[in-house]
Amino acid sequence: MSTTTITVTINGETIEETVPVRMLLVDFIRERAGLTGTHIGCTYEGVCGACTVQLDGEAVKSCLMVAAQADGHAITTVEGLAEGGTLSPLQRAFNEQHALQCGYCTPGILMNMDEFLRENPDPSDEEIRHGLVGNLCRCTGYAHIVDAVRQAAKETG
Amino acid sequence: MSGTSEGWVGTEFHRKEDHRLTTGRGRFLADLVVPGMVHIVFRRSDHAHARIARIDVSAAKAMPGVIAVVTGDDIKDEILPMPQPVVQPALPANYPRHWPLAVGRVKWHGEPVAAVVARDPYIAEDAAETIEVEYDPLPYVGDPESALADGATIIHEGWEDNVIFQMDFTGGADADSQKAHEAEVQKVFDGADIVIKERFTCHRCGVTPMETRGALFDWDESDGMTGWLTTQRPHIDRLALSDILDIPAEKLRIIAPRDQGGGFGVKAPFYREPMLIAYLARKLGRPIRWIESRQEHLMAVSQERDQIHDLEVAASKDGTLLAIRDRGLADCGDGCEGVYWGFLMPFLGAVELPNAYHWPIGDIKVKVAITNKSALSPARAFGELPTRFAMERAIDMVARRCGMEPADVRRKNLVAELPYTSITNEYFDSGDFIKVWDNLMAEADLPGFRARQAAARAEGRYLGIGFGLGVELSGVASELFVPMENQPGYGAATVRLDPRGKVLVFEGDAPGGQGHETTVAQAVAHSFGIHPNDIIVTTGDTGTTPFGSGTVGARAGSYFVSAAVQACEVLKEKIARIMAHDLELADAAPADFSFADGFVTYEKDTNIKKTFREAVERIIMAPINLPAGESGGLEHTAFFEAEKPMIAFNADVCTVEVDIETGQFKILSWTTSEDVGQIINPQIVEGQMQGAIVQGLSNTMFEEFVYDENGQQLTADFETYKLATAADVPDIKVTHAPTPCPYTPLGSRGIGEGRPSDVPGTLCNAICDALEPFGIEITELPLRPDSLWRQIQAARGAS
Repeated sequence: MSTTTITVTINGETIEETVPVRMLLVDFIRERAGLTGTHIGCTYEGVCGACTVQLDGEAVKSCLMVAAQADGHAITTVEGLAEGGTLSPLQRAFNEQHALQCGYCTPGILMNMDEFLRENPDPSDEEIRHGLVGNLCRCTGYAHIVDAVRQAAKETG
Repeated sequence: MSGTSEGWVGTEFHRKEDHRLTTGRGRFLADLVVPGMVHIVFRRSDHAHARIARIDVSAAKAMPGVIAVVTGDDIKDEILPMPQPVVQPALPANYPRHWPLAVGRVKWHGEPVAAVVARDPYIAEDAAETIEVEYDPLPYVGDPESALADGATIIHEGWEDNVIFQMDFTGGADADSQKAHEAEVQKVFDGADIVIKERFTCHRCGVTPMETRGALFDWDESDGMTGWLTTQRPHIDRLALSDILDIPAEKLRIIAPRDQGGGFGVKAPFYREPMLIAYLARKLGRPIRWIESRQEHLMAVSQERDQIHDLEVAASKDGTLLAIRDRGLADCGDGCEGVYWGFLMPFLGAVELPNAYHWPIGDIKVKVAITNKSALSPARAFGELPTRFAMERAIDMVARRCGMEPADVRRKNLVAELPYTSITNEYFDSGDFIKVWDNLMAEADLPGFRARQAAARAEGRYLGIGFGLGVELSGVASELFVPMENQPGYGAATVRLDPRGKVLVFEGDAPGGQGHETTVAQAVAHSFGIHPNDIIVTTGDTGTTPFGSGTVGARAGSYFVSAAVQACEVLKEKIARIMAHDLELADAAPADFSFADGFVTYEKDTNIKKTFREAVERIIMAPINLPAGESGGLEHTAFFEAEKPMIAFNADVCTVEVDIETGQFKILSWTTSEDVGQIINPQIVEGQMQGAIVQGLSNTMFEEFVYDENGQQLTADFETYKLATAADVPDIKVTHAPTPCPYTPLGSRGIGEGRPSDVPGTLCNAICDALEPFGIEITELPLRPDSLWRQIQAARGAS
């Protein structure tokens, strides 16, 4: 099995690892970096969005990339959202609005909406709902997620 | 015990679970690693029905990194076959014999045929691909009607036909009484003003959770087996594994991870894969982990509903319901699934068919047929989504025939006085259906809507309003649970006080996102008069928790929380007795002490009080000078069982606009009215309703498992098995018209489980109301714009 050595900065920490060329980025994040907050829901189809992380600040589905493609890039995962142990306004809003139940899809949604709010600081509910179409949630029915994103937008906007 | 005037029950308290889940520190099954752990991947059948002629695993075995490859023949003499008593209902049925891997024949596309254990999951997957299986195809039996037809291929060896289960729910046990009852019902039909007769079909769909299934088993000669399992029922899994693998139960510990990515019933059965993994972990002496792929998941589980109902309703022209007759037929799949066997869902669906309406008489029979599909596995709204769709649609059809508002027919026939026993012997303990309904109607503003509808119609726009309602189980009483699943219905909780005045609660059930940690913390904090953050909850570990049948049937708010409160009350009495003794209050009764704001106070002289911590610490750490007969320590396990089964009730209204040129429709509003009894956490209750209704919408509008004419399952990914996204669904307005349940200590009811069930009927009623000028009556799910468009075209062509 051919391998390659990559250098990736994850949540501000730079790590160098030799990985199989075919290793998916999501598996690299979970197994090599030990960051298990990034989840696998549709098993590498890029549909459910549970594995969403940010690559150089842009939300991407980490099951649709191999780890080698992240060489030289900076990744932020859900573990990197809270700064200095303080929850971000979005994370806090998810708690206050009861925007999660099982929490399996939540990390991917947070990473997507964190970027979304940077691009859309004052979104309408419809814009939020359309911004969420790349993330499947089975528990909440989405309404409380929309409430949470709206709350975070108000607080930060 | 009195004293907690204001407390935590009914207050908004943000969930305790959320910090770890929003920071990536949840611990789900796939996050667990055990030293020396290896991985297993299943090779599944490419055929829906075939004899296995030959399996060649030599290439797989030769691959570097592969530890073992097994087939059905390798294990059939090592593992006892299913069924085993603990996962077999007490209902008379044919229970198909099976092993974790197919033996001799495959019976559905996706059935496990072989398994590979390897050091690395990528290698295991590669090796599984190299296994060569030669099949001799057998005729595919793809629907229940052909399964029951004369000359049909018999799927299970040794059976006389393909019937797994059949039951007459209303006519008594013997053929003579059933015949007499049929005749009595026929008489009512003969004399009725109005008879509705329709075939209602509900497609195969379910509530697939975002986290797939998984298992991790670790065997140790001295300690035995520890298994981490995605499950709603760790205690049942433990007993079942003990029977099948012949491991003494005391040597088995099953742990449901604290964080599970949804269950919705899908993680409640005793499945085939964990049996094999546990067996191999012991045989190979290696910890083995399995993480199911989404493709496997959608091929093997999460498939429910799939019922046909030939339903007849007799009514008088004033809208009074007189009689019902139903012949239900369900597509079971192969039925090889512990606990449920694919037929318990249609069984309960038939029990709940009459819904909250008063039927003087009925004749209800159901048949469940084996086919070459994966076995039906439970999904929220267990078995009743198809029957409720049929019933709620039929009520609207009756209304149309009577020239009445469907809302008026509903109110007229609602069970008005509780307790009540339905014609299928379902017991409704308490509540006020009329109050819930009237609350809904106040929200609905029907006259206002009719005016808007008329104005819109004059402009060529088609608005509609639809109603639906549902009576749901609030926990499953032993009275129903013992015959249905051979399991106890009681809720169990251990409450252990910590010397520092904190509280540990242990629950044997295994939640998957419902917020048990928060809900029970609020109930216990309320009882002891302390803060919910002082309560730590452990769930789902058979090594530390009391026996519980599992997180099913909305048991938490009804049974589990009640058990916890009962345990608290026992401990409070002990604290009060010992405090009275210490303070030499000879006349004090336990009821004279209140527990509030972190203090235990003697209410007859409120200067006499101790902090909760002092009171507790004295009994745990300084057990001297106790009253006669008392011992130290503060821990109690309570088993709560209500005397009778309990229910919750809801009613829904939605409005839609239909574009008659395309068949597309838009949901304009959705409002619910709920009786959930005493609410413990309002946000969690609302979250359950929002989620459940959207699941119902997703089932109705998008999700469908499709098999082709050869039984190839075509919908094993989220591209083809489409779930509702945020942009597809409305915000739901949740309102309450509660009646506290008199049979639980807090007045709470269990909620959420059955809640998707009235959604398809409510939505289809609104669409049919909008399309009333075309006389369209929807009788088939899923509800798709293209099929609506065809019906509109046909109606326009005919007019």
